[in-house]
Amino acid sequence: MSDNEPQTDGSGPGIVAPDDEVPTWRERKERTTGLSRLTYEYFERARREDQDLRQESSYVERDVLGFPAWPHETIRNLSLASFFTGMILFLSSMLPPHLGDPANPAQTPEVILPDWYLYWSFGLLKLGPLNPELSILGGNKLLSDPLYGVLANVVVVGAIAIVPFLNKGSARRPVEQPLWAAIGVGGVVFAFTVSTLAVKNLVPIEPHLLFDLTFLLPFVAATITYAVLKTMREGYMYDLNRRYYRLRPPR
Amino acid sequence: MSLERKDEHDHGAWLEEKDLSAVETTYLKSLMWLDKRFRIVDYLELMEDMYYKVNLQMPKSHTEQYNLDNKFWYWYPLYALGSFSVIAYIVAALTGALLGFYYAPSTAGQGDPEAYVQLVAIIKDLNFGFMLRSIHRWSAQVMTAAVFLHMLRVYFTGAYKEPREVNWLIGIILLSLTMVFGYTGYLLPWNQLAFWAGQIGVEMALAVPIVGEWGAQLLFGGFSLGQPTLQRMYILHVFVLPFVVTALIAIHIAIVWMQGIAEPH
Repeated sequence: MSDNEPQTDGSGPGIVAPDDEVPTWRERKERTTGLSRLTYEYFERARREDQDLRQESSYVERDVLGFPAWPHETIRNLSLASFFTGMILFLSSMLPPHLGDPANPAQTPEVILPDWYLYWSFGLLKLGPLNPELSILGGNKLLSDPLYGVLANVVVVGAIAIVPFLNKGSARRPVEQPLWAAIGVGGVVFAFTVSTLAVKNLVPIEPHLLFDLTFLLPFVAATITYAVLKTMREGYMYDLNRRYYRLRPPR
Repeated sequence: MSLERKDEHDHGAWLEEKDLSAVETTYLKSLMWLDKRFRIVDYLELMEDMYYKVNLQMPKSHTEQYNLDNKFWYWYPLYALGSFSVIAYIVAALTGALLGFYYAPSTAGQGDPEAYVQLVAIIKDLNFGFMLRSIHRWSAQVMTAAVFLHMLRVYFTGAYKEPREVNWLIGIILLSLTMVFGYTGYLLPWNQLAFWAGQIGVEMALAVPIVGEWGAQLLFGGFSLGQPTLQRMYILHVFVLPFVVTALIAIHIAIVWMQGIAEPH
């Protein structure tokens, strides 16, 4: 066997031979002679006859590429939507929301908080201690603490927004890109820790320690994630990169 | 010359026009005889098909390539979060429209503000009112949670990558608008949570140097909370955001439709 022929184990040089060099199956058959040639001609005629008969009939043949929108898809989607809506209704009936006291500017509550999904943002407003004091400006802060917090929000959202412009390529799984997965896990943990910082009045941890943990824990989580995924990657990439286009030459 | 159409499938005539030896004729005739009775062509096609399938290894499908066949629960359940948030959004829109019939965005009134009084009326007097508010509130919570989780799924499965950057950006705008939706929404009852969360908003706006005061005027109707604030939050919540967010969701889904769903990994 020469070097140019594809190997059955996929180790050959060409995985798939170019189309124009390889005879098609029809060409292979047409080249034969004698009885096999006669058989081929007859079968081609018979097949043609079948096809003509099929096309004459009123029965419409078509390739089914998916389920029809009606009724299959529609009923499936309706049942899924009803299920999820039902879950929302169940939640609403089981856990009715609290209304609370009417607004009273004269009475400041002990804990001022937004709704839960804005805790992270509110936590970012409490990063005042990170706002550096510049002695060169006579000990004045360059930015006021609230502005610093607002800018932190902008930075966080901006960082998330530019991710697709930094991370290119076809890798999809966290194992394939441990660094980006680690950044993601760090970000998620930071969202939780900074939310905890927002409700620090309710957390039984000393404020300074809580503030340090807010920035320490995301790094710890990210490092662990990175180490674990990096370790998993070795074996994973080996499996992934084995060739999967293989052509066994006909005998 | 006959007007009758020539029968292209007359195998007998075809046989005659060919100059065949005795062996060939016998063979072909018996083949035709058998084929007419047993439809050998069909079996030959089947055999041919099998031959292809045995000898040609097709490119691996996505699930084969990533060995997902036995890992259905790895990522798949998380691929429902986008539609889940849309469903929650629709439920919130419907119940919100109903709630709007009974709500008044007003801080007027001796003692409790009118908006709060209306809310108490919805809860206590309106038939099904408590449930209505509960559904609206919970579907909003569920939508927000689903949007967050949807974004995490998209991040960790790399679905934001190359051809889908625009949708990622639209998604971030949608995420922000969802939170603004929630914010303007929970300011409407004008209870303590609403008031002091509004206070945070005003202070955030005022912290911004040049455009801050202008922004506070625009969004909150002044530097302290009151009737203008509630009025603006109401208009944002029921008039501006629904149209903007619905349009963006439509674009978001249209792009997914055009580009195809980024496959599970």
